[in-house]
Amino acid sequence: MLSAAETQILATSFSVASLALLWSLPLAIACAFLLARRFRGTFLLDGLVHLPVILPPVLTGFLLLLLFGRNGPIGHWLEQVAGIRLVFTRQGAALATAVMIFPILVRASRIAFESMDSRLLEAAAMLRAGPWDRFFSIALPLAGPGILAGAVTAFAAGMGEFGAVITFAANIPGQTQTLPLAIYAVLQQPGGEDEAMRLAAMSFTLAMSGLIGAEVLQHWMRRRLRG
Amino acid sequence: MNALDVEVRLTRGAFRLEAKFRAPGDGITVLFGPSGSGKSSLLSAIAGLVPCGGYARLGRDLLCDSAVDLDVPPHRRGIGMVFQDARLFPHLTARQNIAYAFQRAPKDRRRDIGEVAQFFDIASLLDRPVGNLSGGEKSRVALARALVGTPDYLLLDEPFAALDGIRRRAFIQVLLDMHRSFGLPMLVVTHSIDDAAALASHLVALQAGRVVVSGAFDEATREPTFTALLDPRDEGTAVSGLLLDSGVEPGHKYLWLRADHVVLAAELPRALSARNILEGEIAVVRTEEGGGRLVELKTAVGPILSRVTQDAVKELGLAEGKRAWALVKAHALQH
Repeated sequence: MLSAAETQILATSFSVASLALLWSLPLAIACAFLLARRFRGTFLLDGLVHLPVILPPVLTGFLLLLLFGRNGPIGHWLEQVAGIRLVFTRQGAALATAVMIFPILVRASRIAFESMDSRLLEAAAMLRAGPWDRFFSIALPLAGPGILAGAVTAFAAGMGEFGAVITFAANIPGQTQTLPLAIYAVLQQPGGEDEAMRLAAMSFTLAMSGLIGAEVLQHWMRRRLRG
Repeated sequence: MNALDVEVRLTRGAFRLEAKFRAPGDGITVLFGPSGSGKSSLLSAIAGLVPCGGYARLGRDLLCDSAVDLDVPPHRRGIGMVFQDARLFPHLTARQNIAYAFQRAPKDRRRDIGEVAQFFDIASLLDRPVGNLSGGEKSRVALARALVGTPDYLLLDEPFAALDGIRRRAFIQVLLDMHRSFGLPMLVVTHSIDDAAALASHLVALQAGRVVVSGAFDEATREPTFTALLDPRDEGTAVSGLLLDSGVEPGHKYLWLRADHVVLAAELPRALSARNILEGEIAVVRTEEGGGRLVELKTAVGPILSRVTQDAVKELGLAEGKRAWALVKAHALQH
């Protein structure tokens, strides 16, 4: 079955994608909720959110280096104050991945919030529920299926992030070497095609199961919601 | 008792709402008006869902006042609302919907969910998802939820619009019972004169964004400005629900007696099927645009209108000061 090296690559991918999702999701949900309410300056936030889709991933990685590198303003501060170093670490790979999957999460959550009947929030307000209360008790549960489906898709996409990750976190086996980075590495060696094929098959299987999983999950939760 | 004093000013495109009125702190006030007269917008402004552009006061509490830039958010107004479409939370069961209100009600005023469910006859469907409930069941759950929320004033936006005949009457009865049992003051929006009569102790009539009449229901409905709001076929008078036999159990505040449904006789009729025979003196005979005559009869239950033809007036010799008998079928009083 899987070799020790392959297991390690899979484990790295899972851990990077999980961490990225954990960091990205709360902020993405908050962003999506704001965007769904169409306040002033929506388009600005919308543009900012979608920046990673438009920019070449290498550039996103480079921007992260500038900001979070050891000499970058945030990176320097993090290392001084908290002793956290992001560049060339697994956390760094997760950060790059988090930025890349952010638009997917925002998009899915926004659609979920927009398709929710916002008049239910008014009904909740008339029962003494404040804005935060309404968000957690009504909006979030109702948008849940859509958000969850987005999260599964984003997780699958996160396992395959390449450009931004390799630029910001490098390609260190056991540390930052996720599936696509490993495929890239074996392709650099002569005779690595067979191994590349095995890794590619794994990557493909994971991506597909992610997509199918999202569909099934969403379908199931919608049905449950309708009762 | 917390009366509701409001002056709302708001603009929606070409539509301008400028409504000032007082809804008493006891009884049921009906906000009546044709569609598009601004009833729902007015309710939203009182609830705090849209800015009120003037002021609103519940008892001594100021809810909003544009002069001092005060706008209490809806969840702190102590005002409950029942919407036309029930708006139950679809991810919760009926019980959880009611519990949602319970958890957020002030602890010292909480009402027992079981008792309230008993009252609204929904105990057996509490654990069903709300998607499985019928229209009538949904409205009753919505009422129970609003009641458990222990508001100081309850706004109802055409809560029976989606219900048909029998269920509509049943729902109105539930509303009246609820008012009697819990003493919660209500402001109910409707465009149906029969529903208004059944519920109202007080009337606020709205036309094109302005209050045209406001006052005790029976008196207010006699105002010409109110009559002008009605479809001519609906023209009539409010008669206390206890004084006429409508064939249904008494309980409705008033019955709306349409002029078209009242037959006049010049002498006391005998052996008739009509359940209600009212003797009175003719106060006035008005000629209508189409040539018909509207006769106003002063009776023991108050003035009554009857629409008759010109020929009938001649043949019966109906004239001011003459005695006449008004005949009303019980079924004409059931809408």
